[in-house]
Amino acid sequence: MPMYKNGEVDPALKALEVRQDEIMRKLYELKAAVDGLAKTVTTPDADMDVSTLSQTTTASSFTGTADLDALLGKDPGALRDIVINANPASPPLSLLVLHGLLCQSYRVLSSVHTHSSISSVPPQLLTCLGPRHAESYSRQQFQLGFTLIWKDVPKVQMKYSTQSMCPIEGEANVARFLFRLLGLEPKDPIVATQLDSWVDTAFFQLAEGGSKERAAVLRSLNSALGRSAWLLGHEPSLADIVCACCILREGQALSTPANVQRWLQACRNLEHFHCIAPLLL
Amino acid sequence: MTKEQVKGSAEEEQQAAQSKKALKKQQKEAEKAAKKAEKQAKLAADQQTTEEDDFAQDRYGVYALMQSQEKPDRSLVRVCELTPDRAEQTVWVRARVHTSRAKGKQCFLVLRQQQWNVQALVAVGEKASKQMVKFCANITKESIVDVEAVVQKVEQKIESCSQQDVELHIQKLFVVSQAEPRLPLQLDDAVRPEVEGDEEGRATVNQDTRLDNRVIDLRTTTSQAIFRLQSGVCQLFRDTLTKKGFVEIQTPKIISAASEGGANVFTVSYFKTSAYLAQSPQLYKQMCICADFDKVFCVGPVFRAEDSNTHRHLTEFVGLDIEMAFNYHYHEVIDSITDTMVQIFKGLRDNFQTEIQTVCKQYPSEPFKFLEPTLRLEFTEAVGVLEAVALLRSAGVEMGDEEDLSTPNEKLLGRLVKEKYDTDFYVLDKYPLAVRPFYTMPDPQNPKYSNSYDMFMRGEEILSGAQRVHDAQLLTERALHHSIDLEKIKAYIDSFRYGAPPHAGGGIGLERVTMLYLGLHNVRQTSMFPRDPKRLTP
Repeated sequence: MPMYKNGEVDPALKALEVRQDEIMRKLYELKAAVDGLAKTVTTPDADMDVSTLSQTTTASSFTGTADLDALLGKDPGALRDIVINANPASPPLSLLVLHGLLCQSYRVLSSVHTHSSISSVPPQLLTCLGPRHAESYSRQQFQLGFTLIWKDVPKVQMKYSTQSMCPIEGEANVARFLFRLLGLEPKDPIVATQLDSWVDTAFFQLAEGGSKERAAVLRSLNSALGRSAWLLGHEPSLADIVCACCILREGQALSTPANVQRWLQACRNLEHFHCIAPLLL
Repeated sequence: MTKEQVKGSAEEEQQAAQSKKALKKQQKEAEKAAKKAEKQAKLAADQQTTEEDDFAQDRYGVYALMQSQEKPDRSLVRVCELTPDRAEQTVWVRARVHTSRAKGKQCFLVLRQQQWNVQALVAVGEKASKQMVKFCANITKESIVDVEAVVQKVEQKIESCSQQDVELHIQKLFVVSQAEPRLPLQLDDAVRPEVEGDEEGRATVNQDTRLDNRVIDLRTTTSQAIFRLQSGVCQLFRDTLTKKGFVEIQTPKIISAASEGGANVFTVSYFKTSAYLAQSPQLYKQMCICADFDKVFCVGPVFRAEDSNTHRHLTEFVGLDIEMAFNYHYHEVIDSITDTMVQIFKGLRDNFQTEIQTVCKQYPSEPFKFLEPTLRLEFTEAVGVLEAVALLRSAGVEMGDEEDLSTPNEKLLGRLVKEKYDTDFYVLDKYPLAVRPFYTMPDPQNPKYSNSYDMFMRGEEILSGAQRVHDAQLLTERALHHSIDLEKIKAYIDSFRYGAPPHAGGGIGLERVTMLYLGLHNVRQTSMFPRDPKRLTP
């Protein structure tokens, strides 16, 4: 069928062409909208249009050292001791992993105590912060204190500066605080929000949600991990730590989709994940 | 009758007022006489019945003075053992009459034995006569009685007694020891919580009255519980340390020289010379270490001649002292002492819950909280925290580098530690050398500080301890620095000349531990017969 006649274009044909282009454009738009909607459904709190987000994450590796004075305010003349109260019935695995990371960046004086509200604690929980530091007899030589107290509390609780800060409740919020001490949080607001969103997903849907919710999160994890090695791109981040810990704690690592399986194994291979291995029996 | 009189006087209005009065008087007197006669007749009748038909006169009475004349084959059941299991059984019980209340043909008694009590009932009937009930009602409070009774289950719980499910139906009752009718203080007043007493305008007993009549005050459920728990502290202290391989030692209390300067020691005349009462078994504990006893402890009286009349000072108290040789670091000793304390707290929490609750009823306080292992902070850290707080509140906590903690600062620090760590027990390490005794080992890193520590309960100091200087030469230097007469402590210094292991220790006040564990406010409450600058009796 001759479409062109002596280099001249048939006006009717041209009109048809324009209409076809228009339809294709609308279809693309529609697809994007549906994709966006799907993401919003699987990730709560992300009420923006995710399809327009840049996919190049800027999460850095876990090796930076931040200035504690800048992060926590002027040196108080005393050990900066972070106190975490946790219930031995549900050990806060993500915080233990973060403790391992803090130890790589700072001189941390770690100690585990049992509060009198608890009568006995399994031995592996008493050694969960690793062996005692060789110089633990002198508290002044440390930059940061990490005091984990097994206590009868309904929610994980963190106390830092009791004079100027209220206690922080919830493992998710404590995890965010500890991660920020590493100075590794994404600078890009979009990625930072995505990270926050994954943390919420982990604790509200993976840890506390029903089986359907969990399955939905696992599906969206699987598709996210199909696109990149880690949840926020090429480097592991807090998102990976909390999601992996929540799945591992539930003990359902085996029934997960392929990408998630591969990623979980990668997480477990990270050095700072080793400390939680004895708690996962 | 007065009405009649009024009526009468109304009828005879014309009668003079004088005669009216006289009539009234007369009538009244006649009434009185009649009443008296009636009463006498009744009394006489009563006496007659007593003599004639008291069928139960063998079932009650006052025992002759017990001089161990006989040894009857009778087992006395303890009040705490009176449970529904024993329903319908006939038992013998010896107890005190806590209260008695007569009501017509019945008399209710509350029989008390230590911290337990039970309701008992005497009713006129087959087993008891009118006279017996009357006798029961007239027994003075606090008398000791023997009763034979049947245990009966009750439908409604008796809220006021410790044995709530049963009562005793008395068949026989004999007084073993009669109390004087007037008591210097009422037991019920002595256990009333202070706040409640204020609200209802009812009597409470002040501390001096209690202490003046200590024997009666010690009978209250609160006192019973306090001293049972205190005995538990001693027991747990001994058990824990013995398990750790410690040896209990006894040291002399009459000594020739004051260990830490003579300011606060009692002087006693000792034949032709004078001696002192020991402030702590310090020197002897250390000598035992030098004599290869390795780990020793000692429970005994300690004397302080401080003229301080505070809620936490006594002039004689029971010291629980520990001294221990260590391998390389004095924290080995801190760990051992704190673990002992934690074992005591755990033992009390697990085995003395009833006693704790009883004391709490009168003196409400929060349960004692602690961490295992015990929290250890350093002195400079504490000063830093206190200064940071002062900065926030712009309150004037300013401390020099070598200054000791003042009592208000100790309490403030206690509150801050509780807020952050939720523990009532912690250790403060590395005190400035200047504020500690001469035998304290200096810190190797910073000679301004020392290897010494205090332990705190509810923000108050209970233990003071340190690594001691075990080198005779350094000890001499330190003594000279404190301008102590070397002649007086020669024997002490000499004991370190022939090889002395590194060692550390500390001493705890038993009364303070009990007071602070229970959250009481005065150490006299936990001392059975307290001694302070103003009290030598009872």
